[in-house]
Amino acid sequence: MDLIREVLDNQLVDRNQQRLGKIDSIVAEFRPGRPPLLKYIETGWAAKGTRIHRRLGEWMRRRGSRPYRIDWTAIRDVGVDVEVALEAKETPLLRTENRLRRVLTRIPGS
Amino acid sequence: MKKALEITLGIVTSVGGFVDAGSFATSLQAGARHGFRLMWAVGLGTLCVIFLTEMSGRLALMSKHPVRELIHKRFGLRYSAALLLGCLILDQLVLASEIGGVAMAAQLVTGVAFRWWALPAALAVWALLWFLTFGVMEKAISIAGLVTLAFVVAAFRAHAAPPSGGLLPAWPEGQSARYGFLAVSIIGATIMPSMLFFYSSGAIEEQWDRGYLWVNRAVAALGMAFGAGIALAIMAASAAILMPKGIRVESYAEASRMLEGSFGGWGLPLFAASLGVASFGAAVEVSLSGAYEIAQTAGWNWGKEKKARDASRFTLSYTAMLALGAVPIALGVDPLKLTVFTMAIACLILPFLTFPFLALMNDRTVLRDQVNSRWANYAVAGIVGLTFLLAIVAIPLQILGGS
Repeated sequence: MDLIREVLDNQLVDRNQQRLGKIDSIVAEFRPGRPPLLKYIETGWAAKGTRIHRRLGEWMRRRGSRPYRIDWTAIRDVGVDVEVALEAKETPLLRTENRLRRVLTRIPGS
Repeated sequence: MKKALEITLGIVTSVGGFVDAGSFATSLQAGARHGFRLMWAVGLGTLCVIFLTEMSGRLALMSKHPVRELIHKRFGLRYSAALLLGCLILDQLVLASEIGGVAMAAQLVTGVAFRWWALPAALAVWALLWFLTFGVMEKAISIAGLVTLAFVVAAFRAHAAPPSGGLLPAWPEGQSARYGFLAVSIIGATIMPSMLFFYSSGAIEEQWDRGYLWVNRAVAALGMAFGAGIALAIMAASAAILMPKGIRVESYAEASRMLEGSFGGWGLPLFAASLGVASFGAAVEVSLSGAYEIAQTAGWNWGKEKKARDASRFTLSYTAMLALGAVPIALGVDPLKLTVFTMAIACLILPFLTFPFLALMNDRTVLRDQVNSRWANYAVAGIVGLTFLLAIVAIPLQILGGS
């Protein structure tokens, strides 16, 4: 599998096809004399920041922002979207979406 | 039968999408200042936008993903983020121009200064987005947009026709920088980057599949050609009515009475309604397009078919864009000058979107047997490249006050 082409920057969805974010980085363990071992996929602003510029990533981490890691073994399907064996509510990834949703629900017509 | 109806609606929709404050402002100025000698720019821009619109629909219905998501995936986060930033700055300027168009139309009718109308205009656009679904909203705006046909009537009644050889490009002595700048603005107003994102997202929202390939082709070709016809009618009417009077259209107000010869007392309200409805429709499209761009890059829930609360960050995105878009107009920035300038700037961003887009359109892993023909690639690359070169010469000259 070509990781960069087929996995990185793909849409990440949970087992109910709920959108969780993008796959912003891939964490692998390099082992001497053996092929690298894929450990996690990462998503979130801190991972995006590091990809855009190392210093931006460092600045975001200093402010307490951390990428959200999902175990590589949780990946169920790789297509244009990457499906993981998780439910959105088990993760903090939709916290902002849900907070905002509670505010919007108070406005008529939402 | 259902598809024939969709084509009809699609064509009407394209008119709504095509004729906006940008094509109003640039066509009025072009006709008043250069007669028929800038019609080639509308033709060139329209040819390019027909290709681009058809391609973005084809890409969406074949891949089931909108253009923005595919660019992010194929070209990576860095390029995608830089392109997003550029497109969002442009979208904000375009949105401010469209809000300015609505506000100016309100000023023409009520006499109350346009800056006071900026916030109510933005709020009205937001309310429409909040309460109506994608399909209803699109059709309502498009049908209202047919009021712009008043300019076709005006052009016929004024016997607007180019003199022999009057359609050919001619760089007027002492005004070549202004002529070039206006040509760039016209092409920019015709090929708005936001239209690609809006159209491909719309194809996904309306669940187009492979069976819609010919519907997509018909809507893109006929709709854009029909829209271009209205832009040309505005230019022709302006050339026939305003040019002989020496009116150069430095403001919308200068052009506002041009329909009175055809419609008498209804002339001014019709002009205001045309400008207002076209700008209003475009404001809806641009604010939605900006929200699509943000949500599809970040991987959030998106979609106008969803309830506002079910895609809350998407909803917040268009709300914030509208609030920001109202600011320049509320501060009194001249809507016409802002519009013409913004449309020229669009040409500088176009290649950075178009060339990656063309690369996607030639990828068999995405489009299978529906990749681009060679001629479509040449046509789009040629027009976008040429316009970019014209823009990097004409824009600095215009800013430096050259002629």
